[in-house]
Amino acid sequence: MSIMRAAAKAPAACGRIGLKIAGFGFNFKSYSAGIISILEKRYGRFGVPGESGYDLEIVEARGSQTPFKPAVSFDGRTLELKRGDFEAVIDTRSRSGLVRVSPTEQCLDAFLRSLISFMLIRSGGFMLHSAGLVRNGKAYLFPGISGAGKSTLSKLAAGSGGGGVISDEINIVRLEQGRWRVYGSPFWGEMRADGRPGSWTLGGIYLLKKSAVNGISPCADAESYRTLLRCLVNFSSDAETAALALANTARLVSVYPAGRLEFSKETADFLRLIR
Amino acid sequence: MGVKIKKDLAFRRVAGELFVVDSAKARLHELNGPAAVIWEGLTKGRGEAAIAAAMRGEFEVDARTALADIRNFTAELAAAGLLEESV
Repeated sequence: MSIMRAAAKAPAACGRIGLKIAGFGFNFKSYSAGIISILEKRYGRFGVPGESGYDLEIVEARGSQTPFKPAVSFDGRTLELKRGDFEAVIDTRSRSGLVRVSPTEQCLDAFLRSLISFMLIRSGGFMLHSAGLVRNGKAYLFPGISGAGKSTLSKLAAGSGGGGVISDEINIVRLEQGRWRVYGSPFWGEMRADGRPGSWTLGGIYLLKKSAVNGISPCADAESYRTLLRCLVNFSSDAETAALALANTARLVSVYPAGRLEFSKETADFLRLIR
Repeated sequence: MGVKIKKDLAFRRVAGELFVVDSAKARLHELNGPAAVIWEGLTKGRGEAAIAAAMRGEFEVDARTALADIRNFTAELAAAGLLEESV
């Protein structure tokens, strides 16, 4: 079924929801009550009525998650995002587009991750597989691949009451007016929280290492750069986007040399070292 | 006919090492200092002799060793699919 034909079948009642995620505004409209309901339930904490930004019409469609990895293409104006269960065509100049998705939370989540990760790289930031904590009003990031300890660290921090968790899986960083900020993320891992909107000045970055004893040590720039690149979320396969990702990450590392946090999974005492 | 770095690769030097992203294959390659000098020579279309001279300028290496390093590393790059033939 083509996207345009699916849109033409729309019934009369149109639902709308405005969201602001990572500093980007989205106005979604859909004739599918199911999709609006999922958006409200899943991203309601990021809701902003009448938010200006991208106007995206969402059409309900069927599909499988195969292929699982989204394909992203951009010709300088039109952005296309495609996976087995979603397809989006967005005119970045008029900031409008049509999205065809399976009416599931997982599908909408995958679509939004693909879209926002692309927009972030183009605007000087990126999404990072990491745990994110707020300490004394600043955000601290702990990048790591699967198994590095992101969820363990986040659960310990949440359980202690001493460190607000931004996300245990994917955090959002942006360079704004020469300063790096971390944005609240609706994209979570094991903790399955719905996220907290807002943004915080980036306080520091720590690579993770599980240990019996807590401690912090310096980390070489090349190693922190390598880790950040491996944890950076980018579904695009074009060299231009990769070059932007390399540049954005280099800019971050030049301002925030990472440390290494060795932490014990027994207690949240490691939080005292984060500053 | 020689070789050159494949198009559509993104790369950047950070802390003395060169990071190369092959987006099409979703792979990240990391090159050390001497390898980075060879890479940068190839990106500029330089021949073996010019690259060897650049290596001798940055590292304590004789011409013969530099040439051998260039050939070995170029073979590694080819095996990794990072080179293409230049006309």
